[in-house]
Amino acid sequence: MFVADVRLPGLQDIAFVRSGVAHGRLLSVNKPADDRERVFTIDDFDDLNVLEAGPELEAFRQSPYPALASGKVRYVGQAIAACVATTRARAEDLAERVEVEIDELPAVVDAVAAMQPGSPRLFENWADNAFIARTISAGDLNLFSASPMRLKRRFRMNRHATVSLEIRGVVAHWDARLEELVVHLSTQGGHVMRLGLARALGLPENQVRVIAPDVGGGFGGKNRLLPEEIAVCAIALKVGHPVRWIEDRREHLLASVHCRDHHYDLTVCFEPDGTLLGIEGDVHIDAGAYALWPTGSFMEASMAAGNLPGPYRMKALRVNTFTVATNKAPMGPYRGVARPGACFAIERMVDEVAQHLGIEPYEMRKRNLVKRTEMPYVTVAGLKLDTGDYHDSLDTAAKMIDISAIRRRQKERKPGEPRVGIGFAVYTEQSGHGVVEWSKRKSRVVPGYESANVRMLPDGSVNISVGVQNHGQGHETTLAQIAAHELGIDPSQIRIRYGDTATTPFGFGTFASRSIVFAGGAVGVTSRRLAEKIRLIGAHLLQAAPESVRIENGAVLSDSGSVGFGEIARAANIRQEMLPEGMEPLLEFTGTYEPKESAGVFSYGTHAVVVEVDEATGGVKILDYAVSEDCGTMINPMIVDGQVQGGISQGIGTGLYEEIPFNADGQPLATTFGEYMMPCATEIPTVRIAHSVTPALVTEYGVKGVGEGGAIAPPAALANAVADAFRDCKASFNETPLTPRRVWEAAQAAMTRMEAAAETRA
Amino acid sequence: MKMTEISVRVNGVAMKSSVEPRTSLADYVRETCGLTATHLGCEHGACGACTVLVDDVLTRSCLKFAAMCDDRHVTTLEGLANDPLTDLLRQCFHESHALQCGFCTPGMLMAARDLLRRNMTPDEITVRNALAGHICRCTGYSGIVHAILLAASRLKPDD
Repeated sequence: MFVADVRLPGLQDIAFVRSGVAHGRLLSVNKPADDRERVFTIDDFDDLNVLEAGPELEAFRQSPYPALASGKVRYVGQAIAACVATTRARAEDLAERVEVEIDELPAVVDAVAAMQPGSPRLFENWADNAFIARTISAGDLNLFSASPMRLKRRFRMNRHATVSLEIRGVVAHWDARLEELVVHLSTQGGHVMRLGLARALGLPENQVRVIAPDVGGGFGGKNRLLPEEIAVCAIALKVGHPVRWIEDRREHLLASVHCRDHHYDLTVCFEPDGTLLGIEGDVHIDAGAYALWPTGSFMEASMAAGNLPGPYRMKALRVNTFTVATNKAPMGPYRGVARPGACFAIERMVDEVAQHLGIEPYEMRKRNLVKRTEMPYVTVAGLKLDTGDYHDSLDTAAKMIDISAIRRRQKERKPGEPRVGIGFAVYTEQSGHGVVEWSKRKSRVVPGYESANVRMLPDGSVNISVGVQNHGQGHETTLAQIAAHELGIDPSQIRIRYGDTATTPFGFGTFASRSIVFAGGAVGVTSRRLAEKIRLIGAHLLQAAPESVRIENGAVLSDSGSVGFGEIARAANIRQEMLPEGMEPLLEFTGTYEPKESAGVFSYGTHAVVVEVDEATGGVKILDYAVSEDCGTMINPMIVDGQVQGGISQGIGTGLYEEIPFNADGQPLATTFGEYMMPCATEIPTVRIAHSVTPALVTEYGVKGVGEGGAIAPPAALANAVADAFRDCKASFNETPLTPRRVWEAAQAAMTRMEAAAETRA
Repeated sequence: MKMTEISVRVNGVAMKSSVEPRTSLADYVRETCGLTATHLGCEHGACGACTVLVDDVLTRSCLKFAAMCDDRHVTTLEGLANDPLTDLLRQCFHESHALQCGFCTPGMLMAARDLLRRNMTPDEITVRNALAGHICRCTGYSGIVHAILLAASRLKPDD
């Protein structure tokens, strides 16, 4: 059951009146005279608090984001008023009758131009349009002037949407008996959302219950509290009957969490033999109009800069980062957060250097990848790459894809035949990062642990409640596997529960590839405590010494006999006289877990792709896609494969298809699936996957996260493959998505250059 | 708004309803009939999650008005609870990890069943083409394609 399937007596629908302009002063909102009480504007809520969002840094400028527009509108689609009616269609009828007067202002649509003096400003009290500007520099900065060779390139990864297939939704009502607000919310982390909702609404947290039922995908987009969600709850408190808002796809593309939108202007320094020395330049993040609670999109810039050295040995890094406010929907996290952009920039740069020096891109990577014997290796940006074998990963992928066969095919190509190219991209994926990393980032909420409540009922069956939120990751399977391993019972006897703040221990939710490390760890260590108590009771019932018994197949065994968990659980729950003297009854533990080192562990992998490019149309077709990856111990290889394949599908979307362009007035030009290209089964190949297993040293079972990795490397690998197809004319493909038009134009420009050069020589 | 009276056989049950002329078939089965297996992912006919059968023809319920289904048979996924082919597909989806969040699954099952009823021995390209109007954001499609090919391999000629 998803949020839209929740049925409550008296439920009414909400439709929002949204801004049609990107930037303007809100002069008036006129409600229809005969329906005033069913239309709400910000003036109807004098008790709503505006949440401070973004990192807790003095330098981070605040962008107060009210539940409904107040004073100004700052992007097309910003919610201005909410209309309540018995059906969504009738609520939309009502919304059409609300008259909005806006004094339009010049729109800010280009993050780089937005930082030029004289640019219109979104927030009048800011000195410029930057939420924050920071320079990250590390290593031997003298290298930048001393370097024998350098190459300068610009890269751009354009804006798109997160596009969970279930769109966002809220159903809210006041439970008069319990005196609490019950909010059914499609979210990745109900506990954290409750915190934000309670603060915004001015309610104590014990009077807000958030229920996330089945959640139809999130990918980061459901890990921020959005103004509509606050508005719906505020209306529920006023009207006395349940209300719901189910986002439609147009609203999603217009006004839900947007992502990517990175601009890189970089210079890489290197030796004539291809040894990379350092990277410097500017990174602009187009963060949209507001920072979303809790942490906004602030981490994009620092993570983009920090991941620029990638898995390579580099000695110097100097990056000026600008997180810029523009008149677009606010940016939030999306699978891979910042790293797809950073990976695109560095991996394209590696290929550009290779091209410049006439080295095979594969060789270029071999020369620069961190070696297994150097691990743990602290990158110039300060990331500690813990375990793994990056060279082996590259070699495996290269073998799978067969470079020499492609080179042969390229050589034998006849004029008129499609061009073929091969591209590599190596990535790392930080996961399991806790207090150390999130406090360093000045995160408003520090997701440094996860929790689990493990309970054995009187009949021996087990309930486990966790604070993470499954929305497609298969937690019911993997967490039950872990508990089954610790408790010595079959996974089918274990129920995993999540998604209700009233019944689960506090946790942060599912994002940042963290659930298997944190929630898996919490379930593991807490189940172990339960197993130990079961063992002690079992020994007592067997009249054996505790050290002489062991757990096996749902029973405690001694040399002379065994006692089943059912009997032990019965004693612990309802027959306390059978327990050892002084032992507390119940078989229930709540525990938390954080890895022993909380700077994070790094999964990694190599993507290798072969593409065919139609020279006449610029169309790109994927012929083969191979991945060699290592996420440490795999609890469930089928789920790992699903995450890799699914992540790559999204990465292919970023690389080839998905984009929300804006015109000069700040109007978004992709607001339906007619203009927004979603890859389908005809576009996404089945990826061939090879696994290596290098267990992490600091996590339970040696696991590392795997949720995001798949989405990180595809744009880079694809662009490298397309560039490889046009090696002979040195065409560069440095902007995603690689639409037919972009590919065709870049190829044409390169061929024209090549012909002109040939003529000059002649 | 003037209402339209319609008689629709929904999953074999005769329903008499009064609907607004603009009510979509999707809203009708979800809100009036309470059948929530039909999911809405785009409401403009692109994602396929709302796929149902109207007189046994695969139909995007978001693009059809309820009033157009007067005197018709509408079958949602709930109506296929005891259908052997759907059952086989469900089992193969399970075995092939063909769903993650599950939101696209009802539409995928509908499309897969329709394909296998027309073609018991599809190759991979045929399966992919049959799914070309269905969006899955989670799986990257390979599990779904695998599941449908697996189901086809288990079909007996007399099924």
